[in-house]
Amino acid sequence: MSAKYFDLIKHLTLREIKARYKQSFLGFFWVVLNPFFQMLILSFVFSQVLRFSDLGVPYPIFLYAGLLPWTFFNTALGAAMGSLVENAALLKKIYFPREILVLSVLLAKTIDFFLASLVFLVLMLWFQIPLKPYMLLFFPIFVIQFLFTYAIALLISALNLFYRDIQYLFNLILTLWFYLTPVIYAVEFFPEKYRYIFKFNPLSVFINAYREVLLAGGFPNWGSLSIGVLISLVLFIFSYKMFKKLEGVFADIV
Amino acid sequence: MQNNGHAISFENVDKYFYFQHQKTLKEFVQALFVQRKTLERVHALKNVSFNIKQGESVGVIGRNGAGKSTLLKIIAGVSTQTTGKVTVNGRVVPLLELGAGFHPELTARENVFLNGVILGLKEKYIDNILNEIIDFAEISEFVDVPVKYFSSGMYMRLAFSVAIFVDPEILLVDEILSVGDSAFRVKCLKKMLEFKKKGVTIIFVSHDLRTVESFCDRAIYLKTGAIQYDGEVNTALKQYQDVLEVS
Repeated sequence: MSAKYFDLIKHLTLREIKARYKQSFLGFFWVVLNPFFQMLILSFVFSQVLRFSDLGVPYPIFLYAGLLPWTFFNTALGAAMGSLVENAALLKKIYFPREILVLSVLLAKTIDFFLASLVFLVLMLWFQIPLKPYMLLFFPIFVIQFLFTYAIALLISALNLFYRDIQYLFNLILTLWFYLTPVIYAVEFFPEKYRYIFKFNPLSVFINAYREVLLAGGFPNWGSLSIGVLISLVLFIFSYKMFKKLEGVFADIV
Repeated sequence: MQNNGHAISFENVDKYFYFQHQKTLKEFVQALFVQRKTLERVHALKNVSFNIKQGESVGVIGRNGAGKSTLLKIIAGVSTQTTGKVTVNGRVVPLLELGAGFHPELTARENVFLNGVILGLKEKYIDNILNEIIDFAEISEFVDVPVKYFSSGMYMRLAFSVAIFVDPEILLVDEILSVGDSAFRVKCLKKMLEFKKKGVTIIFVSHDLRTVESFCDRAIYLKTGAIQYDGEVNTALKQYQDVLEVS
């Protein structure tokens, strides 16, 4: 995709952001408040009621470091799902690379993600987690997570054009996926013989990597991160190719 | 140009597409059990050939399902022909239908930018001509009002105004002038005549036969995907009307 479409991507992204905030009273605060309140509730349940221990850091911040990337993944896919169907009128009339519609939705959610992360930063200071240069690795990890999310978004948005109930099926998958990802718990709480499944779950790989660079203040586990990169790249190439192949019939079927 | 003055040329174009009978997986699975049809191959265009010269205004008429929209989709490049050759020379600008590329929550100003970039304009250029667009649409007082409060006429005027500032070489008009009040319709037609004089190629799809008659130099009458007649506007209209009366 060339620079030719920069303005289009920019304005479609702005549309996503503006349209949402104009509708709700609290505007931008929702983006920050939603994960924050989730964090408070889950923190209460799991640190007061069930009591996890030995995390090395206070539970709220441990949880938040997993909850934010998960929220990005979840909300971005939810929005991307309908991104083609909702723009059917455009698909039928005018040509531009269709992935722009999906991409702009993800970019809008990326802005949400970084806004919500500001609270995380405050929380880090509050809990006196020492700030280290390793934390900047947060950005490249997010780039990989974005690529993985984009790959899935391309697939499901195209499939949803063919069968409109793919979204319900996928929401079910997302719910299962949440519990198989160490968001509210740590991988170490899982019986050792089952732990291998986390290696092949890119979301788990990313969340562990975020925690390693942000909370432990060290390097991520390069071995599992490279599996995550590999899965993301392969999936992206596959789904991009498929998307481009299906693109030609989008206008015929919407 | 190396195209002997042809803006659009179709050579033996056939278009098939698959019509999906079920729009959900659930229906699809059900249909498998009772062995109902799931996909149907539709022959939307049958061996269609024509050349449209630069600057020609061509009306495309025919009943619903005759292939008019498919034809426009192929010209616009959003759909591809199954066989045959299609050549399009020049910047194609579709007049978008009501609401396409507009967001109800955004203001008129924001929507002009959105619509403009969708039609391929640069943000900077839109910035320069914003006032002209707003003036032409006659909505100066409502620039910062979300378009959800607009009447359909105002909406239409805005959409049309953006499109005409794109400086089209080939303009695709699909049943669009049926909305809006008659004063604005006249204004639009005037603008389109101006385009015509400037040498813009215009493809006009409409059920409004009188507009086709007054505006177009030539008409293509499509019947179930095939060209039934191509030439004189009056003859095309007459043939089409005869069929309408019989049925």
